[in-house]
Amino acid sequence: MNLFQYISENFNTIMELLVEHFFLFFFSLIITTIIGVALSIIATEEGREKIGKTILSITGAAQAVPSIAVIALVFIYVGIGKTPTIISLIIYSLVPILFNATSGILSVPKEVIEAGKGMGFTKQQILWKLKIPIAIPVIMGGIRSAATIIVGTAVIASVIGGGGLGDLIYTGLKLNRPEALVAGAASSALLAIIVDQILAYIEKLITPKGLTVTR
Amino acid sequence: MNSDSNVKEKQSTENTNNQEQGKTKEYTIELKNITKRFGDDVAVDNLSLQMGKGTITMLIGPSGCGKTTTMKMINRLVALDEGEIKLDGTSVYEIDEVQLRRTIGYVIQEIGLFPHFTVFDNIATVPRLLKWDESKIKKRVEELLDMVTLDSSYAYRYPLQLSGGERQRVGLARALGADPEVLLMDEPFGAIDPINRLKLHDSFLEIQEEIKKSIVFVTHDINEAIKLGDKIAILKDGKLVQYANSTEILYNPANKFVENLLGQDRSLKALTLKRTKDFISSEEIVTVSEDTSEDNVSKLLQEKNQIVAFVLDKDNKLMGRYWLEKTRKEKFEINYDESPILTEQNNTLNESLSTMFSSGEKLLPVVNRRNKFMGVIRLGHIFEEFNK
Repeated sequence: MNLFQYISENFNTIMELLVEHFFLFFFSLIITTIIGVALSIIATEEGREKIGKTILSITGAAQAVPSIAVIALVFIYVGIGKTPTIISLIIYSLVPILFNATSGILSVPKEVIEAGKGMGFTKQQILWKLKIPIAIPVIMGGIRSAATIIVGTAVIASVIGGGGLGDLIYTGLKLNRPEALVAGAASSALLAIIVDQILAYIEKLITPKGLTVTR
Repeated sequence: MNSDSNVKEKQSTENTNNQEQGKTKEYTIELKNITKRFGDDVAVDNLSLQMGKGTITMLIGPSGCGKTTTMKMINRLVALDEGEIKLDGTSVYEIDEVQLRRTIGYVIQEIGLFPHFTVFDNIATVPRLLKWDESKIKKRVEELLDMVTLDSSYAYRYPLQLSGGERQRVGLARALGADPEVLLMDEPFGAIDPINRLKLHDSFLEIQEEIKKSIVFVTHDINEAIKLGDKIAILKDGKLVQYANSTEILYNPANKFVENLLGQDRSLKALTLKRTKDFISSEEIVTVSEDTSEDNVSKLLQEKNQIVAFVLDKDNKLMGRYWLEKTRKEKFEINYDESPILTEQNNTLNESLSTMFSSGEKLLPVVNRRNKFMGVIRLGHIFEEFNK
């Protein structure tokens, strides 16, 4: 049976799995972004720069931890199903967001912050009007890598009952049906590309113009 | 706005009354026995300074002498350990720190323009924090851009699109945004190349003549201190070594430390106390309008027995220079120079003399920061003045 025949015969199943995969991805990304950015903001507050720098070295190293190890640990402590899947996706994708958001905020020029402070910005204004907008391109970079990682890792996470396109791939593996395997892998790759394009567009939209102009 | 200025007027008349009655003079900025320690290090040690209204006070000294710390204690970016700082008689600790900073202009060396704000938004920063009316803000920004001689097309550019000198001008305009009485400047021209720094100095002095703010200016460059300062406070190890005007410091240095700071060429530095504009003359100057033909200029110059004529546009801006050259056969040839060597009115005398020496010109046209022709200075005339 060739690939196209497989896809047309199982189109509805593939679509269902794709939608399931998308929702796994979507919830994980939203939650991990909120947690990651919030933690970075707290860690980079004035006087806490040391915590921020520690986070940078830890997350830098943590990026080398394989995803399967995180999934296995969550499985041991939380069990199987959708929730453990989302938890493991959040934990695993927290690393790039935390790393980028922290380094982005820490790299806002100190003279910009000093000028803001000296002119009478409150702490909140320094955060929301200066630090975050200037760090936006770097923060968005973190969110984009997290998104790609989540789409890919969600495939693996189907071993603990997460569902999604991973089911297709594992089925293909077990039943020795390469069409299923390829269909699953291709749809997940396609999803990753589309998601990245959308995020790239959002990044362009919310990056302040002054940061990208040239003379 | 009106009521504000009335209050200020009232205060200043009260101040003069106080002075007339021989009471203690009110200073805009008053530092009383301030001390700041960082751990075991004493950064500022029992320092007292009084700065008059509308004057520029330079804080100078080697790095680590406490000059920047002293300045930052005024807007409470650094908390003081002992002593008192008063602005117009009110302790800075009686005012909320955020509110306080909105009433004090602040310029730092790296300028710190907000890269994601346009020039307009940068300058409008403090007025917006103070919730001014947008139409009033627009007027104010236009006024300030004009003051720092940037044309209004700059309003919608971003800091990344500006040169170093332009950024510095925007930084100054931003600090003046809400028209603060007091301006703190921390080596604002430190990162600018020497030629542009001179230009910025001149426009800065001209602007100060218009706005008359009380300015605290931190520098490590003694030439800058002498050129810009009404008074100079020399600091060493957090202590005040000498506090006087430039003439006093140049002719009566308090000790060896001040002498070393001034360097070997003190008498040449004294030339920096004189401004070019004090030596401007307009006698026997030939000026012509843009549409005068070369032949007419040549005739005019020969009639008046002069060799140089300056071309001015209708706003008296200097457009160019004609000069006669004697050819061999007792004949004259007329030459035109589109961008003549010139000097600005607020340049110090030694800057103008230096320009003369390097260009070999004994006569230089003098302009203001808007390139308006003010007259000329002559080498011979300067020497005569000094011999008197």
